[in-house]
Amino acid sequence: MSGASPPTTRLAPRALRHRRSARRLTQGQQEDFRQAISGAQGVGDDRGYQYWAGIHGLPLPISCVHHRELFLPWHRAYLYFFEKALQDQVAGVTLPWWDWTNHAEGVPGPYARRKVNGRKNPLFDSPIQTSGRESPGQTRTTRAPGDPSRLPSAAAVEAVLENRDFFTFQTQLESIHDGVHVWVAGTMSSIATSAYDPLFWAHHTMIDRLWYLWPLRHPGAGVPASLLDRALAPFPMTVRDTLEVSQLGYDYAAAQGPGHG
Amino acid sequence: MVEKFTTEPIELPPLDHSFERCDLIFYGLDHSGASFEARVFMDARGVSRDAGDDHRAYVGSFFILGHGGCFGDVGHCDIPAERDPFDLRPAHQLEPAIRILTVTDAVRALLEHDVKAAKVTVVAQTEGRAVNDVLAFERVRLATYA
Repeated sequence: MSGASPPTTRLAPRALRHRRSARRLTQGQQEDFRQAISGAQGVGDDRGYQYWAGIHGLPLPISCVHHRELFLPWHRAYLYFFEKALQDQVAGVTLPWWDWTNHAEGVPGPYARRKVNGRKNPLFDSPIQTSGRESPGQTRTTRAPGDPSRLPSAAAVEAVLENRDFFTFQTQLESIHDGVHVWVAGTMSSIATSAYDPLFWAHHTMIDRLWYLWPLRHPGAGVPASLLDRALAPFPMTVRDTLEVSQLGYDYAAAQGPGHG
Repeated sequence: MVEKFTTEPIELPPLDHSFERCDLIFYGLDHSGASFEARVFMDARGVSRDAGDDHRAYVGSFFILGHGGCFGDVGHCDIPAERDPFDLRPAHQLEPAIRILTVTDAVRALLEHDVKAAKVTVVAQTEGRAVNDVLAFERVRLATYA
């Protein structure tokens, strides 16, 4: 066995993992997630946080898909690969979702505290690599959240979920999504930089969860066939590959509508 | 780019036309600049730049997450005028957006007040409202669904 790698403790469990509400994470789950983010921040290559944040916006090319027909599938693929990078740091961690229809606190607690246990909270903010900045002074992410009552309501999300047509559903959901970016403000309010904010991932996991819920409301409804074989560059996936989340190794902890997070 | 735009009057469905849903569909929205909220008013007079959801003519809003400007070289953010059908590259990042605003209750209320056509006013508001001249779209139409 000379030359073989020692056994790793980082082998992922061979089971479906559940993404959970950020507000309902146990202390241990929060700590695992912080460790995963910190670990990824410490990796300076294409496994690291900065690399993955940069795919969405700066440095060029801006690869994310917004305001077009692949918005939901592209971001599902993006979350999948980022989550894999986090699981390389801490086996079994999953991306939590931020249910912003719960207006009790605005930014959820795990992301709102500057420090945790006397240490810097990696979910509060993030460095921005030099090539990812809109201006030279933008060294870290910032937020300027609005009044929580201005976040999307559960009723507004329910109305969007009522749509049976995929394009209408996706277009209206993207507007709500855009509104949350605007509400968080600061780094999150620009496509070019938003993915550097750790809160970005919780927001998009909520969007992904709503897409997961949509076909459960409308059996038979789905993504138009014309989109299924479209590639989701730069990821080695097509739209078809994103349709069944269980094939991607995850599920959502509560298959209920908004307001249950 | 403007901060506020008011359309010509848009014909509303006739009173005897039953519909379950009514949408304002905005086509050709620009998203190259700052992110913004677009507040939408129907049959309004004198909507100010600060008008909010308590305005009597407010019918809803939509949001645009913007690119925040161009970070490339000259021409990087110019949308090609034509697309070669054999060009398999992804669409240009700044291909314009569509937004769909459901206004069923608002249109029903206008019809009850015997309004037959209504102007649509859109007011853009950015973070901090420093630069609101971010609004540009090609057209808007009212769609009803029976």
